[in-house]
Amino acid sequence: MSPSSNAAAASSRSDDRVAVRMEGVDKWFGDFQALKGIDLEVANGERIVVCGPSGSGKSTLIRCLNRLEAIQQGRIFVDGIELTAGAQNVEVIRREVGMVFQQFNLFPHMTVLENCTLAPMRVRGMSRAQAEQTARGYLERVRIPEQADKYPAQLSGGEQQRVAIARALCMSPKLMLFDEPTSALDPEMVKEVLDTMLDLANEGMTMLCVTHEMGFARRVADRIIFMDRGEIVEVAPPADFFERPESERTRAFLGQISTY
Amino acid sequence: MLRSFGWNEIWFIVTAIQWTLILSAIAFGGGALGGLLIALSRVSRTSVLRHAAQGFIRVFQGTPLLLQLFVIFFGLNAFGIVVQPLTAASIALTLHASAFLGEIWRGCIEAVPKSQSEASWSMGLSYRDRMRYVVLPQAARIGVAPTVGFLVQLLKETSLASIIGFVEITRAGQIISNVTFEPFKVFSLVAALYFVLCWPLTLLARRMERRFALSGRS
Ligand SMILES: Nc1ncnc2c1ncn2[C@@H]1O[C@H](COP(=O)(O)OP(=O)(O)O)[C@@H](O)[C@H]1O
Ligand SMILES: [Mg+2]
Repeated sequence: MSPSSNAAAASSRSDDRVAVRMEGVDKWFGDFQALKGIDLEVANGERIVVCGPSGSGKSTLIRCLNRLEAIQQGRIFVDGIELTAGAQNVEVIRREVGMVFQQFNLFPHMTVLENCTLAPMRVRGMSRAQAEQTARGYLERVRIPEQADKYPAQLSGGEQQRVAIARALCMSPKLMLFDEPTSALDPEMVKEVLDTMLDLANEGMTMLCVTHEMGFARRVADRIIFMDRGEIVEVAPPADFFERPESERTRAFLGQISTY
Repeated sequence: MLRSFGWNEIWFIVTAIQWTLILSAIAFGGGALGGLLIALSRVSRTSVLRHAAQGFIRVFQGTPLLLQLFVIFFGLNAFGIVVQPLTAASIALTLHASAFLGEIWRGCIEAVPKSQSEASWSMGLSYRDRMRYVVLPQAARIGVAPTVGFLVQLLKETSLASIIGFVEITRAGQIISNVTFEPFKVFSLVAALYFVLCWPLTLLARRMERRFALSGRS
């Protein structure tokens, strides 16, 4: 690395205790504004649950953090590095941020083990033996060590999602993003995935989870973010969020989801 | 002097199969390489590459293969560059195959869900690794059947090389027909030989299609 790029990296570094900082982020899809002036700071080790009505910009928000979506206005720092300061930083940040998708997005032509070892070998430069050992360790932790040699299509939805979590963990990320990880699952499989996420939270992982599982939010979240129409409407610890919501829009949302 | 359509004549045609196969193999091999480059250019983020590839495809899909052969064979010879019929036919068919395979494979690459790339990006895979380990292997599965289908077509299209004097089976048939005056028998044999070459490939394509249809579910 050249001295000048070192200096650039140093100058875009910020507080080490901050995992994520978004400053005045605007995101447009054509002439539709999906995120409006988002300001957010997440501390290392913090567990954040993002909720809100469908189409409110929850997925867009977390997809901006590893630049699956580009933003038009504002700045984003992840792990102290400015994501918005150049393509080089994007690569660096993606290595440190794990993501779990609603539809799992496993690689269907690879075994579970191959899914888990690809990035550690290609991105981290691990040896195959080392990567496989790490992968088996994480498969153990998500409680499916015996499925290592199967293909994703041979697993249940819940198992696939746990593989996806293990795959992300194999990169030893500093931050995990979850985009409705249980929404595509049959009801009986939701718990096994939430249990896995709970374990992860208890181990101190920094997490941003978009989810409609309010029981999980209540148990795990340090703070809940409520979004509506591209804005962050309310940020509060679970107790306040559920018992004393400040915003009318939050109350309306909570009223709707607790109807059943 | 009229010759009869005997074993020698039949053998002459049958041995010309090797030239049909050689020309097909060259065109398919070269076309596979060119086609991959064209397909990757078509899905590239660099707009110059995209447009260049698109222009190439337009030219070679928008003109008859026969004329491409003529332009390369007579055109180069007119400029004093002496090209043998095999060379000219190889160049023309390779360019033709590159354009068509490029377009087929672009479709296959685009048929791999975007979510697969998003997963790759999210764990920091480079462009090369994403293509090599995630996108292309899945595109290849989708592409097997249409690719073998195109190979069948290409094998039949090598018959056009007969017009610039390259002696593959169609040209061999013309030669024998001219000396025996038995065009019906001769060309029936030639057609039967094409069928014998193409039919197994067609079966193979169908079998692979079925196999990948079963294993490709996710
Ligand atoms: N690729 C896209 N192109 C155009 N509009 C999009 C795109 N992705 C999302 N949107 C729009 O942005 C808004 C927010 O979407 P999203 O973040 O997916 O919402 P949520 O996850 O909260 O349901 C929605 O109105 C959606 O239609
Ligand atoms: Mg969403």
